[in-house]
Amino acid sequence: MTLIATRPGPGAARPYRFPPVVRRAVAGGQVVAAHLPGQNLAVALLLLDAGAEREPLGKEGLGGVLAKALEEGTAQRDAAAYALAVEGLGTELVTGLDWDSFQVSVQVPVDRLAAAVELLAEAVRTPRLDPVDVARVRDDEATGLRMDWANPGPRADAALRADLFGGQNRWGRPMYGDPESVAGLDVEDVRVFHSEWFIRPGTLIVAGDLDRLDLEALGAAAFAGTGGGPVERGGPVEAPLRSGRRIILVDRPGSVQSTLRLGHPAPHRAHPDHVAMTLAGTVLGGAFTSRLNHLIREVRGYTYGIRGDFASSRRFGRFGVSSGVQTAVTAPALVEAVGEISRTRSGGVTEEELAVARSWRAGQLSVELQTPRAIASALTTLVVHDLPDDYHARLREALLAADVDAVSAAAATHLHPDSLTLVVEGDAAVIRDDLAAADLGEIVS
Amino acid sequence: MPESGYPWPIETTRLDNGLRVVVSEDRTAPAVAVNLWYDVGSRHEPQGQTGFAHLFEHLMFEGSLNVAKTEHMKLIQGSGGSLNATTNPDRTNYFETVPAEHLELALWLEADRMGGLVPALTQETLDNQREVVKNERRQRYENVPYGDAWLRLLPLLYPPGHPYHHATIGSMTDLNAADLATFQEFHRTYYAPNNAVLTVVGDATAAEVFKLAEKYFGVIPPRADIPAAPDGRTVPATGRPASETVTTNVPAPRVYVAHRTHAFGSTGYDVLTVLATVLGSGRGSRLYQRLADGERIAQPDLVGAYGVDLAHAPAPLIATATARPGVDGERLAAGLHAVVDELTTVPVTATELDRAKSLLSTAWWRQMSTVDGRADTLGRYATQLGDPAKAGDRLPGWLAVTAEQIAETAAEVLAADDRVTLTYLAEEKP
Repeated sequence: MTLIATRPGPGAARPYRFPPVVRRAVAGGQVVAAHLPGQNLAVALLLLDAGAEREPLGKEGLGGVLAKALEEGTAQRDAAAYALAVEGLGTELVTGLDWDSFQVSVQVPVDRLAAAVELLAEAVRTPRLDPVDVARVRDDEATGLRMDWANPGPRADAALRADLFGGQNRWGRPMYGDPESVAGLDVEDVRVFHSEWFIRPGTLIVAGDLDRLDLEALGAAAFAGTGGGPVERGGPVEAPLRSGRRIILVDRPGSVQSTLRLGHPAPHRAHPDHVAMTLAGTVLGGAFTSRLNHLIREVRGYTYGIRGDFASSRRFGRFGVSSGVQTAVTAPALVEAVGEISRTRSGGVTEEELAVARSWRAGQLSVELQTPRAIASALTTLVVHDLPDDYHARLREALLAADVDAVSAAAATHLHPDSLTLVVEGDAAVIRDDLAAADLGEIVS
Repeated sequence: MPESGYPWPIETTRLDNGLRVVVSEDRTAPAVAVNLWYDVGSRHEPQGQTGFAHLFEHLMFEGSLNVAKTEHMKLIQGSGGSLNATTNPDRTNYFETVPAEHLELALWLEADRMGGLVPALTQETLDNQREVVKNERRQRYENVPYGDAWLRLLPLLYPPGHPYHHATIGSMTDLNAADLATFQEFHRTYYAPNNAVLTVVGDATAAEVFKLAEKYFGVIPPRADIPAAPDGRTVPATGRPASETVTTNVPAPRVYVAHRTHAFGSTGYDVLTVLATVLGSGRGSRLYQRLADGERIAQPDLVGAYGVDLAHAPAPLIATATARPGVDGERLAAGLHAVVDELTTVPVTATELDRAKSLLSTAWWRQMSTVDGRADTLGRYATQLGDPAKAGDRLPGWLAVTAEQIAETAAEVLAADDRVTLTYLAEEKP
């Protein structure tokens, strides 16, 4: 047997094409749609300016409770009838919340999209919000969060966020709130949040075969009975970098792994270095082949996986690394991770690494943007960040054009290994001495 | 009702060495999915070697005759692709989706590790990936509340010696004992072209793929005597319920109820799939309506039921619920048992049936909405049911299920005296 030893080169590249984008003003709101000819499924997503940042301080988790309460009956039918109506179309209301927006969507065979959007609007615009139901949903959500917070991760995430952005700011507290903040919400808070943010028209995102869809009718259904215009948003937040590294220990007695969350503040989404930072993050920790995963998993065997990236919303951003490592190697894993971040900052990236990173990011635009849901999500990015219709094509060009100097400069400018906060959620009694001896920074709790 | 759940072309061939090749052309997007199903899973593992099929899957990314260690990932990601692999009791699959101009690269990489893994396999690689897998076990099963439920359910459902008795992740003891020679032999035994199906879906023609498959895979010799896994198709009813209670560090009581049903691909399993959707999928499901909404003893986001799509033995149906504060495990288990029992006594209504079928239709088309989803589906049907075109029968099969069939299947496979119940209780905090 002789296997072919020579690696084949690529064939002729196919042209990249993001689906045509259609924008319409309908009934006081905006419809933004992408045409997917021949696609059997369609997605409609209502995008509201009601992200976590709109929640008042101390009321973290309002959006999450409201999302669940929307399905507890509407002006027209009770909760069970509503569930049957929606699921009878073959869909469920999918709600999502991030710092910048609240999203609620349906995904159905294309001929059912009109009916599904009417039901979506019915829940979003005219929920019953019966006080007894809202109180029960709130309690369930608080319990759900308690269950979630029993897993490794959420407590470490919260500790990191508070340390980076300050608990006196909404963005220094968990995006979905925590078990206590949700348990403390009043029914009236939920009703007020709805009347303040869920009656404004927002934007309807549609991804599907537009030859079989009536955008005017979909928009009219989504925006019926709405009013109120857009509300001013704050400018970018300047979060200060710390002057030294510090360790926050979150105790998890008996844990067989330590959950690591490392991070420092970084620029917001509209920063001009966005593409170069994305690529620097990819080389360092964004892909399986990245430096961190290679070293900590493939060479050392300390973990099942480790990732690092720059993440950003409209007003703020952060650099972060996350992993779970075997308890016994907690300190060496941290030392290696910090070392790799420092090397990337000081030494930049190589052309070989960058070639993989830029082709990967560019190719993912073809490979990952296949489904109506993925396309809807890409349209959401356009709307939230005020980007042009040809953004994805331009992004592809920018990724492919980024050179070693630009990406290395972004690493040098935006990585701050000496300002990292290292959150370690693990068995404190077992790992504390090792961490102290590793000389990575002061253990502050 | 659609005549087929697979309205795309399917073309197949078989190379002289036995490799089956399946191609489904679709020019919609400039991407192509490559998917290999090897007909080997944890069901083939003898006692003392649990976890080996999965650990082996890791080794397949660590280099082969003409591909250096870690190069596989770099080449696929460097061409813009996504890749991964999974192992389950039945089989192991490897897949990548790449921009279409890199199809040949993906086939070259897959052929090199099918035909040339053993010379590249080193003790160092094995030791490294053994540690990675042990960390995977810690992360996914040991360090999370209820994480070991699947590990506990399998031995309750399947007797010792049954191919599904042990979990795919394996035991720490067996992983520690894994030696290099065993893995070299594992590859020689199972990673043969006549034990695999290569599926390519997307922006490529069948003629082009057949030619490339011959070019890269054609030289790999077949293996004549691939040993079969133990036959697990018949599992005698025990006639007595099995139950286990675990008191540990969990935030609330949780109950799993499980039954052996029918093998994936059978009409009985189609009925079971619809039944599971009626029982536990969505807010309109019986479990949600009775336990989360009605009696309000279960956490709304944590009730559900599903079949595990296994093809070589009666596949499990699993229903689960987690207690609301103040509800004990016993009450929750009684509630869950009652709702499962009612599938036999309370006929499924037309509304319930329509709801379930609508949800399953959307789920099916969602799986079909990507080239990778389609490739995996065709690989499954070719490997397990002998013909990729049978993928087109699944959705019509679900849509043809009647309320009577659901009642009959419930009576047949959900008997209380042949039931597995696993209960987690929260230990008292000192």
